[in-house]
Amino acid sequence: MAPDIALAVTATRWPSWLARFARNKGAMVGAALLVGWIIIAVFATQLAPHDPTEMLSRPRRPPSAAFWLGTDMLGRDVFSRILLGGRISLRLGLISVVLGALPGIPLGLLAGYLGGWVDTLISRLIDALLALPSILLALVFIAALGPSIGNVMIAVGLATMPLYARLVRGSVLAVRRLPYVEAARVLGNPPWRIMIHHVLVNAYAPALVLSTLQVGNAILIGAGLSFLGLGAQPPTPEWGLMSAEGREVLGRAWWISTFPGLAILSVVMACNLVGDGLRAALDPRMRLER
Amino acid sequence: MARYVLGRVAQLIPVLLLVSALVFAIMHIVPGDPAELMLAGAEGGAITPQRLAELRQQMGLDEPLLVQYGRFVAGAVTGDLGQSVRYRVPVTGLILERFTPTLQLSLAGLALSVLIGVPLGIAAAIRPNSWLDLLAMGAASLGAAMPIYWVGLVLILLFSFQLGWFPPAGADSPAALVLPALTLALVSAGMLARLVRSSMIEILSEDFIRAARAKGIGERLVVWRHGLNNAMIPVVTMLGLQFGAMLAGAVVTEIVFSRPGIGRLVVTAILQKDYPLVQGCIVFLASVYLLVNLAVDIAYAWLDPRIRYGT
Repeated sequence: MAPDIALAVTATRWPSWLARFARNKGAMVGAALLVGWIIIAVFATQLAPHDPTEMLSRPRRPPSAAFWLGTDMLGRDVFSRILLGGRISLRLGLISVVLGALPGIPLGLLAGYLGGWVDTLISRLIDALLALPSILLALVFIAALGPSIGNVMIAVGLATMPLYARLVRGSVLAVRRLPYVEAARVLGNPPWRIMIHHVLVNAYAPALVLSTLQVGNAILIGAGLSFLGLGAQPPTPEWGLMSAEGREVLGRAWWISTFPGLAILSVVMACNLVGDGLRAALDPRMRLER
Repeated sequence: MARYVLGRVAQLIPVLLLVSALVFAIMHIVPGDPAELMLAGAEGGAITPQRLAELRQQMGLDEPLLVQYGRFVAGAVTGDLGQSVRYRVPVTGLILERFTPTLQLSLAGLALSVLIGVPLGIAAAIRPNSWLDLLAMGAASLGAAMPIYWVGLVLILLFSFQLGWFPPAGADSPAALVLPALTLALVSAGMLARLVRSSMIEILSEDFIRAARAKGIGERLVVWRHGLNNAMIPVVTMLGLQFGAMLAGAVVTEIVFSRPGIGRLVVTAILQKDYPLVQGCIVFLASVYLLVNLAVDIAYAWLDPRIRYGT
């Protein structure tokens, strides 16, 4: 009985939040930008005017008709490298978020629902992990795993995992003593079924918002780590690494470092706009505040 | 108040222990052997098993992980964070040597961020939806989406290479601090402005503000005395978290501006696989961050008596 009611409630709410999202100008701009970047990432090799790894011109050529955003210190086309870099950064954002949410959400669910020593154990772990800013935590994981773009995804994912756990735990605590959950328990549903069908359903909206915002955040942290030399390694066309390479010749060739940063800015901005839009659309209370 | 402070200090100890245990555990997941690295660095490839075993025993690496951790904590309490594999000197000395420039940078960044963010937030709150409000909220969204190293590079391009106002690198003069601090501030001031704005708007809609207005004391006094005093309370808490963001941002900023500091130290340590040094730096930064947040909590309790009496 109870699952049917829950389903009915979500079913009627579905179109209304989507409509609210569509009416939000900022969110639509963000969504369009994000879709644009996804298309670029998928068709990067076809769209790129030049081979991103080939040295095809003299180095440090300023932006021109042939090389729209100039060439880097090895004579590679900056524009083509930025297009290819989109693929790397978007993949990094998505995979890091999955790697953070996948352990984080069940941990929060277990802590909130079971309570007792399980909650104490998981909560202490979350507190300790959150006692470090996530970039520093990611640094610890990179130090242990070694610098590479794959390890950056793992590091950023694990470093942001406690955020999901804390969020889900909070949502679970808010509903777990409510009559409908008690009813589901009395009806004899096994704990895992109650957790997934009755409790987790209530946490999906905030978790979705957090995940969207975290895609942008993960791209920022990942690019930062690559800039430090702790992520992608040459000759990968990764945006943070490209800025680091261009830093050496910043005075003579400003375009090498600056354009990849603009690319990051637009992708992260798009993720944040979509995330904020989702939050406003999914949570009516937030809507009143803004 | 004294009881509150003591209680909070007592709570800090288990958190510190747990954080250091976590960092220690993560650093030991992957079996990189510092003893082997140390020998490879010193004796140019000729690593005899005998010499290796000797050194491992000397460094305590042959003991169970828990014993090693116990020793690490016992050392840390007395200020001994172990020996750097590359530099062959105590980690604590290396950290303390480089902490001053990092602290200067973080504090200067925080101060600039407050100087930009708080007035902007207040202005935005007084006139919601004005152009100033739009500017403040736009700045907040931009700040949240810019990679920090990129902000630094753009500032160097503008203010060092184009205008020549500030040096692009180093830490020898107060002028060299301006651009790195501005980098940190630009990334976080927007967020601060957004927080001040929402806190201020909330306070300005409260009954006691309406009462103050009804009393006829003048809008300026209402906003500055009654509004701001109360709106600043959540902002103060935020400053503790912001300080952590500053420390983390300093790591990247120090590389961009070739400044000495803990950030540079920890990044080179990671690249050189100097595990004891990495571990020491991170545990040290975490402790500083936790202590600052403790100080903020105490300041908060002092500002807001409701916290002290536990309601």
